[in-house]
Amino acid sequence: MTDASTAEASAELVAEREALAPEPGFREAFAQVILERPSTRIAFVVVVLFILIAVFAPLLAPHDPLRQSILQINRQPSWDHWLGTDQFGRDVLSRLIHGSQNSLIFGLLSPVFAAFFGTLLGVTAGYMGGIVDRVISRVIDMLMAFPELLLAILIAAALGGSFWNIVVVLTVAFTPGFARVARASTMAVKQEPYVEAAVAAGVSTPRIIFRHIVPNIAAPIVVLMALWSASSIRIEATLSFLGIGTQPPNPSWGNIIRDGLSNMFATQWPIAAGGLAITIVVLAISIIGDSVRDFLDPETNQ
Amino acid sequence: MSDRLLDIRDLSVEFGPVARPLRVVDRVSFSIDAGKTLGIVGESGSGKSMTALSVLRLVPEPPARISGQILFDGRDLLKVPRRNMPAIRGKDIGMIFQEPMASLNPLMSIGDQIAEAIMLHESMSADRRRERVLDLLRLVGLPDPEGRLGAYPDQFSGGMRQRVMAAIAMACNPRLLIADEPTTALDVTIQAQVLEMMLDIRRRFNSAILLITHDLGVVAEVCERVVVMYAGKVVEDADVGSLFANALHPYTQGLLRSVPSLTDTRKRLYQIPGSVPPARTIKAGCPFRPRCPARMDRCAVEMPPLVPYAPGHRAACWAVSKEMAE
Amino acid sequence: MSVLIDVQGLGKTFTDTTMRLGPKRPPVRAVESVSFQIHQGEALAVVGESGCGKSTLGRLLLHLIEASEGRVMFENRDMSAMSRHEIRQLRQRMQMVFQDPFGSLSPRRTVADIIAEPMDSFGLTKSRKDRREKVAELLDLVGLPPSYMDRRPRQFSGGQRQRIGIARAISVDPAFIVADEPVSALDVSIQAQIINLMQDLQEKRGFSFLFIAHDLAVVRHVADRVAVMYLGRIVEMGTKAQIYSSPHHPYTEALMSAAPRPDPAARSNRIILEGDVPSPSNVPSGCPFRTRCPLAAEICSVERPPLIEVEPGHTAACHFATPYPIAQRSPAT
Repeated sequence: MTDASTAEASAELVAEREALAPEPGFREAFAQVILERPSTRIAFVVVVLFILIAVFAPLLAPHDPLRQSILQINRQPSWDHWLGTDQFGRDVLSRLIHGSQNSLIFGLLSPVFAAFFGTLLGVTAGYMGGIVDRVISRVIDMLMAFPELLLAILIAAALGGSFWNIVVVLTVAFTPGFARVARASTMAVKQEPYVEAAVAAGVSTPRIIFRHIVPNIAAPIVVLMALWSASSIRIEATLSFLGIGTQPPNPSWGNIIRDGLSNMFATQWPIAAGGLAITIVVLAISIIGDSVRDFLDPETNQ
Repeated sequence: MSDRLLDIRDLSVEFGPVARPLRVVDRVSFSIDAGKTLGIVGESGSGKSMTALSVLRLVPEPPARISGQILFDGRDLLKVPRRNMPAIRGKDIGMIFQEPMASLNPLMSIGDQIAEAIMLHESMSADRRRERVLDLLRLVGLPDPEGRLGAYPDQFSGGMRQRVMAAIAMACNPRLLIADEPTTALDVTIQAQVLEMMLDIRRRFNSAILLITHDLGVVAEVCERVVVMYAGKVVEDADVGSLFANALHPYTQGLLRSVPSLTDTRKRLYQIPGSVPPARTIKAGCPFRPRCPARMDRCAVEMPPLVPYAPGHRAACWAVSKEMAE
Repeated sequence: MSVLIDVQGLGKTFTDTTMRLGPKRPPVRAVESVSFQIHQGEALAVVGESGCGKSTLGRLLLHLIEASEGRVMFENRDMSAMSRHEIRQLRQRMQMVFQDPFGSLSPRRTVADIIAEPMDSFGLTKSRKDRREKVAELLDLVGLPPSYMDRRPRQFSGGQRQRIGIARAISVDPAFIVADEPVSALDVSIQAQIINLMQDLQEKRGFSFLFIAHDLAVVRHVADRVAVMYLGRIVEMGTKAQIYSSPHHPYTEALMSAAPRPDPAARSNRIILEGDVPSPSNVPSGCPFRTRCPLAAEICSVERPPLIEVEPGHTAACHFATPYPIAQRSPAT
């Protein structure tokens, strides 16, 4: 090979380089995928709004959510009570605003914890294989066999329905799902030639797991997280509805609906408001989950 | 002209906006006579596969826009309504692809898959069909055809799958067989077997073959005519003997010299620098210019026309035309 | 030249370890009693059809999979006796280039991250700036503009990706590189570029290297010595000149004959082997090649031919290979 042809090669490569589209940075790519879709943008705003409402609940709520008034029961919406009052004369809007604290914390906390523990277990099982995998998989199968709601009722009945008990229960209930997905994805990613390439290059095992495995299994985990967030809000509502979640008189979206249900012939506003709040948040979280998945997938992230 | 089976004239395939189109196949013309083998040679990105897929009308339109003429037996395939194409594919034109596993149904026995290919185009009794399937399997050289009828694709090796694919392609005795890199995924020993099988098919059926490959060695083994493509354009076409003895275009010469050979004692292989430029970067002039050792000023301005320099031997290069003029 | 790698009776048998019910799959003898040495700065090519165990052999040498029998000595140290930590440290001295230019580069990381990964693992990059400088130097060395370093692999062609993979392998300045069919997924014209590049780098850096290929023609330009494998065993081995000018095993001859030549006049007269390689879980008795061998005779199904020396430094395992006369054998061998 003469120098002349090397020079030609580089001249050609320069021409080619000009042609390559610039690689978007992480922030640009994020902005592109997440924020260019109107639906995602709206969902994002909705979730942020709800979080702000939960944080600033005491400032935003027009009334004390616990204050009962025998004089004002079952009122229809008015200037003073935008969503009316319930059978104890409590302001529905204020209860909804304060209730968002419990509901959102449940909705976000347990799935995040469960995603952490589940991914840890699943990646360990999937990457190590052998006896470790067998033990973890059997435990997961056992937990999977329990319907999460039943598990929650069981533990709540045994330990009482305190806030942290419920979080722990839901975390335990969701973990197997994450572990299953993480394990299956890990086993698939482990077969990728670039993982073998990393091993051959001398990369340490923890580094392989954090650099090569975890980022590549993140997409399904995030989708699952969005899915379970929605479920979690729903389950908290169910538990509260059954009387073992958030304890009355403290409000959560679930027990607003429960109280409303026993009173539905007098006023429908609490049911409608609680139900709508749950629906909107769950929908928004799902939409964001889908977009984040697309963002994490290098094939669609063009 | 009665023996001209496939005649492609000014075939272009474009993608992207009409104002700034991406031409992946650019005014390609060539023809195949009945019973002959023509090879299209080029690197990835040369448009060779796209040309073959256009003949089969397997390029989705839109997004693609296809213009020109594809005369098969005098009939323009580009004017045939899309819904009538399946009747032509498989019956008049058979095809073999690079990855046989992807083209075979993993849940159907190979006997059933070949029978299905026959059934789609011809009706006959089950017994006769079975006979025909066995004949086809014998033809493509599958050992123990009776015993293999009920076998599934995953029970075969790559070379054997390619034979099954060929049996399906030949099910209705097509007059043209299109083979897109049929041996690229195979070992050299198996490649030799598959090439031998294709020659055998041609001998017995008198089918014409359009062979797409990046390997000039493969072309030398089986083809009578060669079309060399670069960046969507035909840069040279010739009879095999003429091309290998006297390649005109610098690109063809480079391709020929870069083939590693067993008898070669040179320390280094010849290499064409760089790679095929992406379609969107090609501007005016000859697309091979940046990699060309014989480039001239004129090459940057004007694409050289494809003109004959010897009977049946055309090339598109300013350097060649200058040399010939002198 | 001193011996860098000494392979002694190396073998690998894959057994079915799944916990499924029902019959287990028969064990597969992927590599069987393979012995050879690689000297410092030497290029050994291993050639054979798919399923002959050549990729497994490459991975055994790098200890990416563990041997079932025999051992690999790297710089006079037995790798099978090393701890996992020691093996990992050794990876700084031995690297690999992969067949699949698409799968072997992580799609979500930048070229700089990919190339610097081995250096990062061994703490060879001092600062961000130092890392970028080193990556730029490596890119330049493999013929890519340094400005490519912040791009992701999907923007590159197969040949360019293979250059990136090569830059990654040489980043830690290894003594030994296994190249597992580095060009078989590339266009012929690009193969020449990559082969030349690897040759240049070997000259510059002086590493030894095991080049795995299925095509004898490709190997001709790279190798100092060539080993031909069939069904997990070496059937012929010798210097480049010996193998190409006087092959002694019919399989080697068939492999050469099968390579397509860019010469339409040379079309006829090829040996076309019949059938496929038998399954390595069901190796024929006697000589494993006899089922496809044009020379096969009765003795071939009874007795497995040993590797015999047919001339100094040239061995072949065939009943019909003429042994090198004892009288002429030099005392050194």
